Amino acid sequence: MKQVGLFLGCNIPFNRPDIEYSARYILKELGVDAVDLEGASCCPAFGTMPSLDIEGWAAASAWNLVLADEKGIDLVTGCGSCYGSLNEAKHHMESHPELKEKVNQIYAKVGKEYKGTAKISNFINFLYESVGLENIKAKVKNNLNGLKCAVQTGCHNLWPSRAYPSNEDNTFYPKRMREICEALGGAAPHYSAITDCCGMGALRSNASDKSLALFKKKLDVIKEELDPDICVIGCSSCLLQFDGGQALLAEQKKLNYQIPALHLVQLTALALGADVDKVAAFAKIPLNGVINKIKGGN
Amino acid sequence: MEESSVNVINLNQCDEEFIKELEKFGAEELKECIQCGKCASTCPMALAGLDFYIKRIIHAATLGLKDVLLEDSSVWGCQSCNRCVEICPMDVKPYEVIQAVRRAAVRVESCPANTYEGLRNLYKNGHAVFPKGFEERRKKVGLPEKPPTLVSHEELRKKFQEVLKQTSLADVAPFKLD
Ligand code: SF4
Ligand code: SF4
Repeated sequence: MKQVGLFLGCNIPFNRPDIEYSARYILKELGVDAVDLEGASCCPAFGTMPSLDIEGWAAASAWNLVLADEKGIDLVTGCGSCYGSLNEAKHHMESHPELKEKVNQIYAKVGKEYKGTAKISNFINFLYESVGLENIKAKVKNNLNGLKCAVQTGCHNLWPSRAYPSNEDNTFYPKRMREICEALGGAAPHYSAITDCCGMGALRSNASDKSLALFKKKLDVIKEELDPDICVIGCSSCLLQFDGGQALLAEQKKLNYQIPALHLVQLTALALGADVDKVAAFAKIPLNGVINKIKGGN
Repeated sequence: MEESSVNVINLNQCDEEFIKELEKFGAEELKECIQCGKCASTCPMALAGLDFYIKRIIHAATLGLKDVLLEDSSVWGCQSCNRCVEICPMDVKPYEVIQAVRRAAVRVESCPANTYEGLRNLYKNGHAVFPKGFEERRKKVGLPEKPPTLVSHEELRKKFQEVLKQTSLADVAPFKLD
């Protein structure tokens, strides 16, 4: 049986465990053994150790990479920031051997060694490459029945491309998530703002109004160009903005429509037959229309 | 910065040492910048309307305008998205410049309070984001109350803290690493 280490991060296990539930569900359905990374930490988030210095960043990220090394497994994560932080730290250590050495001096003191053998994937690339579209299709129980999806890959899942082991052919014209949604039976057209930032992250924490205004700009383009049934998101942070951010904008009377939003693994879990009450337990925007459509309505 | 229709840069304020500090903190290619503005064309900070956005931050950095850079909090609104790194024709890696400014800023305690909150959570619990009430949420979807991360492994958490104590966190944290 194929194995992969499930890297949880912070937002998924603590804020949106429905994503964790869905991730575990789909890995099982797809015949992949999800190995728990016992004792994993935060990736670390960009506003923490990466903002102190590269060495501290690399040392903190290496904690997780060492755990994967020890188990001899690769990692997969549903959070873009985790994907970015872990891969960038690894990339820094690979391109600066003296940095790797310093990190290992630290790890020697706790009886560990960073080797750098583990590859860090996100669910987009994992589903697209390690599982494959045909294998996904074969497992679909609830065909999405033409459900129109507006996809959001998420910036950290695309850039900096030099740090990533696998990526889109053209990172400014991403297609992988669209193809996955299509394999599940949905429709996922391109739209002009597909790579625009959703505004989540440091901007949301430090300039909330500007972040939400930037998000609304993107959302308006999605509504105007696609008028989709659902937004499908490749990054858990973006999902918090797409789901909670819309709810907030609606509350502030700045939005007169709402589009349901799910993480890619949640949508996949629905198509693979999971129970919607668990898959979308913490979705703020009701999914009634989506479920109706999947069940064969219009 | 003084309020006027044109901001005149006082070149006497240029601090060569500060430029070196930024280079040491990862802004190695800073001097390659040709101020073409491509980074700003793709930067969410700029598009969201922050006045002091990436091209201007790089400009100030190349001139070593230490006070301007350390007093403005815009660098903390950076999304770490790396669009600028991807697009810069001179491979300046503008995001690394932002991080270098942050790294200099934390050393003079010129960072938003939430920075310390994240660092404290990271050190204490192994997670920078550590919201209350997660046990209930996890139970609701049939998952164990605690995830199998450092929150479930005290011995490993101590080891993780040993690792962090060896880093610059020990110098900049305004809380005790115990
Ligand atoms: S950092 Fe790069 S993209 Fe930005 S102004 Fe300078 S040369 Fe142009
Ligand atoms: S990494 Fe920061 S500076 Fe660069 S484009 Fe993204 S938000 Fe702008």
